[in-house]
Amino acid sequence: MEYMVEMRHITKRFPGIVANDDVTIQIRPQEIFALLGENGAGKSTLMSMLFGMYEPDDGEIWIRGERVRITSPNQAAGLNIGMVHQHFKLVQNFTAAENIVLGTEPVKRLFGALPCFDKQQAEQQIRDLSHKYGLEIDPAKRISDMDVSARQRVEILKMLYRRAEILIFDEPTAVLTPQEIRFLLEIIRELKDQGKTVILISHKLEEIKQIADRCAVLNHGRLTAVRDVKDTSTREMAALMIGNELPEPMEKKEIQVSREILRVEHLTVENKNHLPVVRDVSFSVRGGEIFAVAGVAGNGQIELADAIAGLLKAKDGGIYLNGADISQFNVKRRIVSGLSYIPEDRQTTGLVLDFSLADNLILKKYGREPFSRRGILNPDEIGRYAEELIGRYDIRSARGKRTLVRSMSGGNQQKAVIGREIDLQNPLLIFVQPTRGLDIGAIDKIHRQILKEREAGKAILLISLELDEIMKLSDTVGVIYNGTMTRISDAKSLTADQIGAYMMGVKGA
Amino acid sequence: MNRMIIDGLAFALPLFIMAVGGIYSEQSGITNLALEGFQGVGAFTGALFVIMSADVLKPGSLPQILLAFAAAMAGGAVYSLLHALLCIRFRANMVISGIVINILAMAVTAYLTKQLNPLLTGAPSDKFQLGVSMRITIPVLSNIPVLGVVFKDLYLFEIWIVLLAVIAWFILYKSRFGLRLRACGDHPQAVDAAGVRVERIRLWAVLVSGALSGFAGMCFAYSISASFSSAIYAGYGYLAIAAMIFGNWKILPALGACLLFGFARSGGNEIVLLLQMPGAYADLVMILPYLLTLLLLVFFSGNNQAPRALGEVYEKGKR
Repeated sequence: MEYMVEMRHITKRFPGIVANDDVTIQIRPQEIFALLGENGAGKSTLMSMLFGMYEPDDGEIWIRGERVRITSPNQAAGLNIGMVHQHFKLVQNFTAAENIVLGTEPVKRLFGALPCFDKQQAEQQIRDLSHKYGLEIDPAKRISDMDVSARQRVEILKMLYRRAEILIFDEPTAVLTPQEIRFLLEIIRELKDQGKTVILISHKLEEIKQIADRCAVLNHGRLTAVRDVKDTSTREMAALMIGNELPEPMEKKEIQVSREILRVEHLTVENKNHLPVVRDVSFSVRGGEIFAVAGVAGNGQIELADAIAGLLKAKDGGIYLNGADISQFNVKRRIVSGLSYIPEDRQTTGLVLDFSLADNLILKKYGREPFSRRGILNPDEIGRYAEELIGRYDIRSARGKRTLVRSMSGGNQQKAVIGREIDLQNPLLIFVQPTRGLDIGAIDKIHRQILKEREAGKAILLISLELDEIMKLSDTVGVIYNGTMTRISDAKSLTADQIGAYMMGVKGA
Repeated sequence: MNRMIIDGLAFALPLFIMAVGGIYSEQSGITNLALEGFQGVGAFTGALFVIMSADVLKPGSLPQILLAFAAAMAGGAVYSLLHALLCIRFRANMVISGIVINILAMAVTAYLTKQLNPLLTGAPSDKFQLGVSMRITIPVLSNIPVLGVVFKDLYLFEIWIVLLAVIAWFILYKSRFGLRLRACGDHPQAVDAAGVRVERIRLWAVLVSGALSGFAGMCFAYSISASFSSAIYAGYGYLAIAAMIFGNWKILPALGACLLFGFARSGGNEIVLLLQMPGAYADLVMILPYLLTLLLLVFFSGNNQAPRALGEVYEKGKR
């Protein structure tokens, strides 16, 4: 058997788009095969068909040299195919063991008759399995009490418990810290050595370079190349991925920082259970400076941003904008005082999805002239302004200013939020995860936009889970761990690994 | 005092078994406001059976009572298929489906009772007269000082409820089916990926809620109202939902909430009797459990955690 998995001439159409167009890939036994491509290139769709979540409109799937039809994940499991999804499919209030055995639970008979779920045996099985593959987890711990990387190990064990031989990983490192990523790549290599075939969906070229044997590149649903990784540079891969020449590397100009614009003093924020999630945090951001907050998800960085923007009430501490204390202001007064906010979740906090693009663009200005007068909106002015922003920020959509924002792509939704916020001309810009879920082209544009605002002398607070982004943009880095700002340093004096160590709570690294 | 405990239990236990049904449905992810309608249709079916079997079975005899309860469970279960069909098959909004089912139940059973009565009993009436189920006192146990009263003057159905509840508890928390059912209400995609059919589990969960609610409805018909009429729709189903929520969608805490409601009601009655207040005050007492619900809402709502996927229509293949 030459190939473990063959997908021949696969085509899959969804209303309005061709997700996969005549794609053929062949994967050898016991290799690590990477699927590369931007968001929307069709990687996940292709793998979803291998895992039985969709059926191809055209083409054939061969497993171990035999033609198969895979119509359900169950059938895929029967063919020893397992998948770790990007969004974990775990029951939050079940233990790790319960999650892993779900669907094929061990049973014991109570009083020799009553069949009941055998929790002890399940936990023992999972303990054995986790030792065998070096995937440490506590089988009796609830998922809701686990961190992201432990949850991921549970997902991997779930595949192994079902005797998967072909393991599909969908963007497995997107949510991990550098240390966790290294550990995961180690695990994947280990799995390969144990005889598994691994398919890795990713757009992080460094990782693919480190671990994969071969890679296939998808672009707009078409297969553009299959390469041996060791003979291909990351730059070459990137060029294949976006289908044209790479944008010029970004240049960060040396500029003089001006006066202090935002100052946060001893800020403490509590969550709804009255537990402190931000503890006594102090820092300041000056004009022309990008201050980046680095941290593992859930360490209080979102709450910090929300408290500054006024979406959460601070328990204690002061927030000064241009020297004035705004900590008692409501959201609207903070906006007027000079604060622009690009929230983490553009779809729930940033935009009203069922409003038109034009209405979304004036969401923070509708009360001012000329957009409204005595409480009556002026559609002509709103439309004119919307067209101006659409042009200036290159916001693309099917029907221009009249498009429902819900129907726009994530990248263009984000451009709309960023355009609206920048155009408030406020001296302080807060960006929370500005490039979450976007592809290389869109990320590049947004990074350039942020740097442009820096050159215009704005104070920028950037909160990001992406270390790459922080390394690329920031002037100053503050690391937040468990609600406390454990270190504030000049960005040039730190390496990514050092920041990663602080993010994990390591002291004195 | 004894009276209060006896009456309180007789009201609390039917409420409890109905709440257990609600827990099954909602732990599987199906919002269930239809308990009120299920219990009404169940009581109607059971009462209809009693009336129709009057010539064959001795009124008030054990076989008749047993079969009447079986009929009530079947009636509730069959009617609950409607909710399952709307919510699972046709992906309707579960809240609206529940409310429509309640209104429909009341209209249809009231109409049928009125139409069927002249045919079956020869008398025009909007009630099926049932009488009150037999009561028993468990020998030995009822002689225990203080606590013994719990075993005194029990309706037969109270004992059956305890049995049903134990079985329901075991299945929900100890069996494979229960594990899968609870998983459906938290993360149906995970269940689907594990090769288990979400729709089927949810269907069973709704059927259980229908059967248990039907049983509860029959309890009310056989005790406090001694008949079936549209008066059976007095909001007991909603009270059961409140108990389920205060009990954080768990069986034992829900029992606590039901007992609280039961004793509030019987305690109020006791006070009216004790102070020899006019009859109108007895009606005032009826509002006690509902008032208590409002109060509890203020204090307990914050910390409760509903099943995560509650009310979420499950679509296969949705990522």
